[in-house]
Amino acid sequence: MSSTIAESSNGAESAVLDLHKKFIETNQPSPDFLALNRKALGQFAKLKFPHRKHEMYTFVNTKGLASAPFSLKKESSIQREFVEQHVYAGCERSHLTLVDGVLRPELSDATALGTAVMVGSLAEAIKDKSVKSLLQESIESENDVFASINSAFMTQGIMIRVGRDNQIEAPLQILNVSTGGESGPVMTVPRVYVHLEPLSELKLIVKYVGEGDNYFVNSVQDMVVEENATLTHIQVQADSIDAWHFSKNRVRLKRDSRYLGYQATNGARLVRHHNEGWLSEPGAELVLNGVSVLVDDEQSHQFIRVHHEVENCTSHQCFKNIINHRARASFDGTVVVNKGAQLTSSDQLINNLMLSDEGHADCKPNLMIFADDVKCAHGATVGQLDEGQLFYLRTRGLSEDVAKEILTQSFARSIIQEIPFAPVVEELNQTLLKKLEAN
Amino acid sequence: MESKDNSVSEALDNEYKYGFVTDVESDTFAKGLNEEVVRAISKKKKEPEFMLNFRLKAYEKWLTMKEPVWPNVQYPPIDFQNISYYSEPKQKKKLDSLDEVDPEILNTFEKLGIPLEEQKKLANVAVDAVFDSVSVATTHKKKLMEVGIIFCPISEALNDYPELIEEYLGTVVPVGDNFYAALNSAVFTDGSFVYIPPDTISPMEISTYFRINTEETGQFERTLIICAENSYVSYLEGCTAPQFDTNQLHAAVVELVTLDNAEIKYSTVQNWYAGDPETGKGGIYNFVTKRGKCQGEKSKISWTQVETGSAITWKYPSCILQGDGSVGEFYSVALTNGHMQADTGTKMMHIGKNTRSSIISKGISADHSSNSYRGLVRVGKSATNARNYTQCDSMLVGDQSSAHTFPYIETGNSSLQIEHEASTSKISEEQLFYFEQRGISRENAIATIINGFCKDVFKQLPMEFAVEAQKLLTLKLENSVG
Repeated sequence: MSSTIAESSNGAESAVLDLHKKFIETNQPSPDFLALNRKALGQFAKLKFPHRKHEMYTFVNTKGLASAPFSLKKESSIQREFVEQHVYAGCERSHLTLVDGVLRPELSDATALGTAVMVGSLAEAIKDKSVKSLLQESIESENDVFASINSAFMTQGIMIRVGRDNQIEAPLQILNVSTGGESGPVMTVPRVYVHLEPLSELKLIVKYVGEGDNYFVNSVQDMVVEENATLTHIQVQADSIDAWHFSKNRVRLKRDSRYLGYQATNGARLVRHHNEGWLSEPGAELVLNGVSVLVDDEQSHQFIRVHHEVENCTSHQCFKNIINHRARASFDGTVVVNKGAQLTSSDQLINNLMLSDEGHADCKPNLMIFADDVKCAHGATVGQLDEGQLFYLRTRGLSEDVAKEILTQSFARSIIQEIPFAPVVEELNQTLLKKLEAN
Repeated sequence: MESKDNSVSEALDNEYKYGFVTDVESDTFAKGLNEEVVRAISKKKKEPEFMLNFRLKAYEKWLTMKEPVWPNVQYPPIDFQNISYYSEPKQKKKLDSLDEVDPEILNTFEKLGIPLEEQKKLANVAVDAVFDSVSVATTHKKKLMEVGIIFCPISEALNDYPELIEEYLGTVVPVGDNFYAALNSAVFTDGSFVYIPPDTISPMEISTYFRINTEETGQFERTLIICAENSYVSYLEGCTAPQFDTNQLHAAVVELVTLDNAEIKYSTVQNWYAGDPETGKGGIYNFVTKRGKCQGEKSKISWTQVETGSAITWKYPSCILQGDGSVGEFYSVALTNGHMQADTGTKMMHIGKNTRSSIISKGISADHSSNSYRGLVRVGKSATNARNYTQCDSMLVGDQSSAHTFPYIETGNSSLQIEHEASTSKISEEQLFYFEQRGISRENAIATIINGFCKDVFKQLPMEFAVEAQKLLTLKLENSVG
């Protein structure tokens, strides 16, 4: 058995290496970028394609993904109407559109942001030493093989920098459109770097949509939030049904900064979110909430690492999954409290609602604590609708189907309504909750 | 603040009280393991043919296996060829009364606080005292025999009841289950065998005391308990070990089987030498595989453990809930101090319909120790209406200690209900202040708080053990600055 795993993964690894050769020939990245690409490829070769025995991928079956012969997209065209349809109300003049991972200025409009926000390409931004060293460091210490593939193939990426003491009122939307491949599966590698300078504020909405099928979106987002700054990050995954979606979010929090993360997952063939946060100076706060509604064969996997590196930081996590038909959801979250990180407060809650016998829900909420004066808790549940609640609604004259619909919808709604951006809430009420309607 | 922390940690320092060695001449094999050694053990034990095959199969499996590296513990590599795989006290002939037992051995038990004769009469507990691999005294056997209960060393059972052993041995923990279980299956020398016939409630609690003796002798115990239809037994296991400078490996296997409506309650208090409190050197490695199978309908297996010793503990008493309506329970207190490392927890495998399990785990870590809970709750598609409740709480004492929780929940049907919760806390200065203000010493205050923290588990223990467990924790908390 072990030999077959080794064989198939060897195949997948050499396919990536071959693809990378072609990528270097056709794209000819700048020397600075090329060095990063090469470093990342080296890291990829070290990490290797995961299999089920891999601790980080216990619940994620990457078999189909590893064997798919991915290519890179060269030309992609997209209708302006399609983009407009996916731009949220309020973001008409503050959105960036990435088509197959590449920023398309003609489909973007950032005029509402003013001069306080610098939007440029990462290829330019790495001339700044601090940006370059951070990228380099994260590539070298990469623990996620898919993120290292992203770094190996990144071409330009976007850099968003909010200047000191600027509270940006207009919400900024990043729209990731994947057009898919007609002849075979295509991989795209969106890369975003967000830097909030001290005392600044930004509301960032990242949406993933697909115009075609047969694609693998492999996204990485690095975020640095400096002293007293606040980043609100809303991520909506609404890819095509047979897409693979892997995204990694890395956030570094400085003194008294805040990160408020919200993730809504519509599900696809295979969705995996990897969120990693470092609370590296006292007073930092991290909030991460997520909801996913999965039907048919959809899959969604959450992998979370929160590092409490110093004292006096707080983190909250709350995730809810609704699983119907043969869908699968998993949650693998670890809170690490380092030595000396006293007065840490951390909690983590995962609720799974199982609506069918064929579905799967797996949880692994871990705590690793190396300090004694801390308050850490986690809870995980898997269950079905409460019979008492169903009975109550039925005594009020509601049919069983309607009663179930109300209860399942309100289960998801408890997270959705927390999202601090009305157009997303409205949209999710239409899309996610629609999946839960009776019949 | 710092001085207060020190007093708390001092409270947990405690010299091992049972650090003495009994000088009994041992019949010990040369160090090393090969097929010959496995055959020699079997021959020495005069075992039936099937047992030798069982051992050889296990040995072959073991050769192909690797030591597990996933536990959250660190230790230098073990040289499995530097261990003697057989050792027994020379005293071998059957004894009619305790008077015939080597007085030195009896003296050892005396020091450990196991006065066999007193227990025999007063506590109504039958003691199968396993003294370094070979059982030398079994009491209350007759009384148990009257109701048809078999309680004897497994080596004896192999000769007297081979058909029972052949039917059940290795059915719960297969020979190739894991590295240490395979090693145990190949080289185990003795252990206990209990068979409760149908419709029998054991008239007393059955108890075994273990004691590792000869230096650098790994002890490989094998326990098999079978509880037939409508029967009940409560089994007690307690351990102490002498102080040595080299690491001692203990790789036991315990298998439990319950048939329809049967119940086994298995309780352990473990207080082995944990190594030098300053350096962590010399303690016992406790790599144990414990598993019970609820084979029959409405059967029940309940594990209760109080772990206070061993340099490294690697132990996951588990339940396979196969019979419909079967119940699995796990109650655990794990206290680590000094440089101890514990990676312990449970596995609940729900297979049958309407199966239920509950897990209560309390971890206390002090000094430089590391305490991990690792648990798996797996609910198969067939296990409709399965129910699980898990609670694992950690208490940290001192800022050099660490506590970890690694729960795994895997579910595959919609009628189940699973709840898991975990929390981490410390003994707060407010609580201590309150006690001291009422005139209660710091030492007593800590003992009271810890006992309160562990109450849910202690109340599951049989009376005698509950007292012993509380005493043990308090003992560990002695030397407190008043």
